[in-house]
Amino acid sequence: MGMSTAYYLTLQGKRVLILEAGIFGAGASGACDDMILFQSKKPGINLELAFESLELYHALNVDLKHDLGFENYGGMVLIKDQKELEIMEEFVQQQRMYGLDVVMLDEKEMRKRQPHISSRFIASTYSPMDAQIDPFHVMYGFFHVAKNLGLEYRKKTPVVGIEKQGNGDFRITTQSGEVFEATQVVNAAGTWAGEIAAMVGENVPITPKRGQIIITEKIPMVGETNLWSAEYLVSKLRPEVKTEISEEHKALGLGFAFTRSFGGNYLIGSTREYAGFDTRTTMEGVNAIVKQAVSYIPLLKDIHFIRAIAGLRPSTPDGKMILGEHQDVPGFYTASGHEGDGISLAPITGKLLSDMMCGAPSDSRLEELSPVRFADVKGEQVQ
Amino acid sequence: MSDEVKDPKDVLICRCEEVTLREIEQAIDEGFDTVNDVKRITRAGMGLCQGRSCSKVIARIIAQRTGKNIEELLQNSYRYPVRPEKFKIFDEEESHE
Repeated sequence: MGMSTAYYLTLQGKRVLILEAGIFGAGASGACDDMILFQSKKPGINLELAFESLELYHALNVDLKHDLGFENYGGMVLIKDQKELEIMEEFVQQQRMYGLDVVMLDEKEMRKRQPHISSRFIASTYSPMDAQIDPFHVMYGFFHVAKNLGLEYRKKTPVVGIEKQGNGDFRITTQSGEVFEATQVVNAAGTWAGEIAAMVGENVPITPKRGQIIITEKIPMVGETNLWSAEYLVSKLRPEVKTEISEEHKALGLGFAFTRSFGGNYLIGSTREYAGFDTRTTMEGVNAIVKQAVSYIPLLKDIHFIRAIAGLRPSTPDGKMILGEHQDVPGFYTASGHEGDGISLAPITGKLLSDMMCGAPSDSRLEELSPVRFADVKGEQVQ
Repeated sequence: MSDEVKDPKDVLICRCEEVTLREIEQAIDEGFDTVNDVKRITRAGMGLCQGRSCSKVIARIIAQRTGKNIEELLQNSYRYPVRPEKFKIFDEEESHE
């Protein structure tokens, strides 16, 4: 979010300094599974902004003069029983009314596109729109152009204090004692955005949801598309419906996601765990992902996985990002809380925020994303 | 590509991902001056061997180019699996129990 916002701000002629606490892509960007996924999104502002973000990616793929690893394999959500089928049919219908190009496939059509999946699946969805992009290349593309437009980038420079001064400007202090002054500050600290907001007395309720992912060696295409399972989606859409998910998998928040990455490795995930700010992978998590993957796509049993990664999704109480200026601290903006949609929504977030900061007419759709809605709400307490 | 490397900058430092010395030096010169940074920019170390040999070479190149301490550069996080594992290993583990 920081790099995207910096890019769009420098395009509008602003002088921008990024103070990065860790290294390049140290937060969620570095643990992301690359997906610009439409099918998982409930109709509403998230889906609408994802459409706009995809348009921006098409433009950026040209404007940034850098290969962003954009691929458009499309995606299928695998369905294993009648109950899931009914719920997914209804969900697909809603998404279609919202303009998403998505259809239901019967078993025969599903197996034509995905011949290697387990016999347990009875149907699937299919959307040609689901796409993907490499987060490091996106960040690097933004960085490279913005740097030529004057962006200053400091890594390993954690911010320890932000003070609003009498003249309205901000005084920002870093861990090493350096001090910077700015008229506007963007809090794009992802999962750690609550900590930064607290420095100016504001409430940004972000709860980390850990996601573990395993990465395979490079292998040929498995079927035509990327894959997800309906199981997790259904448990989110209709929590009252009884599912056969084991307690262990429930605690891990295990869902199935299978993405062919830039370079030919597959990224297979993932978990959604409440583990505080712990970014380690666990044997239980990796084990569960591996077993699930083999049971869904049996030919994977002889494939190697070469790495397991984990990162924290910044989640909000209402599942929508936090974007905009803080009413009580003029000039202080937050862009966080994208949960698993960071890579999908990064360009549109940066674009909308830079427009706001440069005084563009306000966009009434964005009111529901404003940090004002959480001014008095406390985040879920973790640990 | 012929076997003979004409320009020493074209030598492959990361063989798994085919990353050349030139690409690594470019990244370092842009300020990406840790092994992890170079990996994120160039993919060096993201391949099958997960940087088991090239990460030390990259640390040395960074040290030579930036004057940083090599010991400091070699500190890197190792995560499970330390070697590529077959997916079926977990099923096999259970059948032995």
